[in-house]
Amino acid sequence: MVAVETYQTVAEAAAGLGEGARYLGGGTIVMRQVNYGDQGFHRIVRAARPERGIGNDVQGLRIGAGTTMADILAHAELSFLHPVAGQIGGPAIRNMATVGGNLFAENPYGDMAAALLALDAQVIMAGGQTHPMERFLADRKHMRGLVEAVSLQRPQPGAFYYRKVSRVKPKGVAVITLAALIRGGEPRVVFGNMAAAPMRAHAAERALGGGVSEASIAAACAVCTEGLSPTDDALASAWYRAEVAPVHLRRMLESGGHS
Amino acid sequence: MAKTPVTFTLNDTEAALFVDPGASLVDVLRRGAGDLTPKQGCAQGTCGACTVLIDGVPHLSCLTLAETVQGRRVDTAGGLADGPALHPLQRAFIDGFAAQCGFCTSGMLMAAKALLDHNANPTRDEVIEAISGNLCRCTGYEPIVDAILSAAAQMRGQPALQQGAL
Amino acid sequence: MTIHKGRGFACINYPIGMNLGGDPSQALVHSTPDGKFMVALSSIDLGQGMKSVTRQIASETLGVPVEDVYVDTADSDTGPHCMGSFASRGTHRVGNAVIRAAAEARKQMMEAAAEELEVNASDLDTDGAGNIHVKGAPGRSITVAETAIAAQFKQGRTLSGRGIFLVPPSEADPETGDMTPVTCFAHAALVIDLEVDDETGEVEVTEINSAYEVGRALNPKLVEQQLIGGAWMGVSHALYETTEPYYPRRDHGPEDFNTYLQPGPGQITPHHIAVLERPAEDAPFGGKGPGEMCANPVLPAVANAVYNAVGVRCDQLPITPEKVLKGIRANGGARPQGAR
Repeated sequence: MVAVETYQTVAEAAAGLGEGARYLGGGTIVMRQVNYGDQGFHRIVRAARPERGIGNDVQGLRIGAGTTMADILAHAELSFLHPVAGQIGGPAIRNMATVGGNLFAENPYGDMAAALLALDAQVIMAGGQTHPMERFLADRKHMRGLVEAVSLQRPQPGAFYYRKVSRVKPKGVAVITLAALIRGGEPRVVFGNMAAAPMRAHAAERALGGGVSEASIAAACAVCTEGLSPTDDALASAWYRAEVAPVHLRRMLESGGHS
Repeated sequence: MAKTPVTFTLNDTEAALFVDPGASLVDVLRRGAGDLTPKQGCAQGTCGACTVLIDGVPHLSCLTLAETVQGRRVDTAGGLADGPALHPLQRAFIDGFAAQCGFCTSGMLMAAKALLDHNANPTRDEVIEAISGNLCRCTGYEPIVDAILSAAAQMRGQPALQQGAL
Repeated sequence: MTIHKGRGFACINYPIGMNLGGDPSQALVHSTPDGKFMVALSSIDLGQGMKSVTRQIASETLGVPVEDVYVDTADSDTGPHCMGSFASRGTHRVGNAVIRAAAEARKQMMEAAAEELEVNASDLDTDGAGNIHVKGAPGRSITVAETAIAAQFKQGRTLSGRGIFLVPPSEADPETGDMTPVTCFAHAALVIDLEVDDETGEVEVTEINSAYEVGRALNPKLVEQQLIGGAWMGVSHALYETTEPYYPRRDHGPEDFNTYLQPGPGQITPHHIAVLERPAEDAPFGGKGPGEMCANPVLPAVANAVYNAVGVRCDQLPITPEKVLKGIRANGGARPQGAR
């Protein structure tokens, strides 16, 4: 049986982590493990007052790790993230699942993490250290401490693209998730479920460096799976993912960005 | 291991229970409070049968740590009816044959109530979105969507919608 | 990208019940002292309407209001034996057992009423509203409740009945193979319209049209409900569901309802149903029941529609986008089989 330790703040909870502990945020990941008798931990550490909500800091927008998908949908300033949050789970999940938790959600979950990677977000730890999303996702299994918030710059209107490929409508988990930030000179193109964690498609980014056009989209699609390593799972095979990733990248880019 | 005292409002009644550490809310509602309306389906957050409202907002009670509802309000399908008078949603589900085995029904009702509580006149797509986290294995969903739209119409004082005719 | 429309057809003759070691079900009916009737079964109602239909059958046979009949089932400790709710047999087998049990209980009830009214039981009839009267003289009557009270406290008689319906096993003639494995069949024909995306292999069903012959539809709304829900399950089996996505390999099986795929409420398909009623001679009030047949024809119709749309013949279920896309590639592109 697990023990539950409740601290006031995320910083205090971070100090209380340690051997055999798992941090409980919205519950969608950890309570599932508790229900199924996961023996990998015997302490649940939680914070009564995690950082929840949207503010501004020197980086731009700051989103508390305890902010739920429903909170994002209720916030007009984050309208560019509404297509992302709105397709995660059903309403009940969206009232529980947090931005912080999504950073650790393994395939086929992690749509918000893919979007934040495309948006070049920074992960702010409880101790104040920050990590770029790309490094955070590569190291997340070994990351120590707790996530306090993420920060990001608001994209220019129409610069953020998002597409979730799901077989179940209106809500289903992703076969592939695509997100892109098209900004002058340094576009970012991200695939979810095409590697162990959301990952940038650097070759596609280079192809789109001169902007989005019919030719650059074609060039990006031709190389978009370079460096990615999709695997088989219950939703689709690695072969299928690699085959349709260019199709969905093209459709996403042709359909225009969100603002 | 020490149990944790939890008090909360369950469907207008004060509930005071001792809960095991790590216990889920659905477990405590069913075994502790004796309210069998929330169903434990998957215990993974993927079926919606355990949907309850916490402070008016839908949550999955299987993924809710029971002790976190301390001081809060929990509404289940067990509180929908007013004595023998069924809630319009319950009436519409019966009239519209919106249940077969009934396992999803409690969760569907609460997901629908959460919608109608803040949107008296939802579109069909809004109803579909509202129940998108709730699985039904029997009906094909259409009778459920129709029933929710019908209940909404009735609650607005309009006659019940014609259910899909054979 | 091209979206190809396809249409597929399938029809079915579906046997009611099974032919293993005989196919029996039992029912027991008894009255309470206040004239209500209990039907005891152990036939499971898993949502298909067993309790509703057996209640109607008992009410009709007894000649009492349906509100006065209760069905108690699902406990094999207290209910009489049933082979089970499968093989589309519930309405037919259990319904027939209930008719026999209810008929015996009705006989007891009429005899008890006859004793009270001092007439012959054969001169009595029920009005279906809770009264038993002398034929042609509705004024000379007794209520079912008064009859039950008299039987219990005055006559010392039970108003009860036993029923069993058995379809005996049919052995095949070793010379000819001739046999009678079941006593009746239900029938259906179903048309699927769908769209196939030739770049992704994704299939969306857009419309279902069906005709079902289920004998008499004992409860038309339940029949409709079962046909609509069953067709959804058929689409789900055809295109989505599998526990072994890489069969015959067992790996990567789904672990939850997010990865065990089923169509969601955003994929509701218009389904137009025509129910044809041809009551079967040996069926309870003619009702055969839709049963498993409500899902089965959907699968071949979907497979045929996919072939019609893009020329890919999938012979393994489910027909996933992956299988469709691989088939399109193997054919060198989509090969629509006919304009729609």
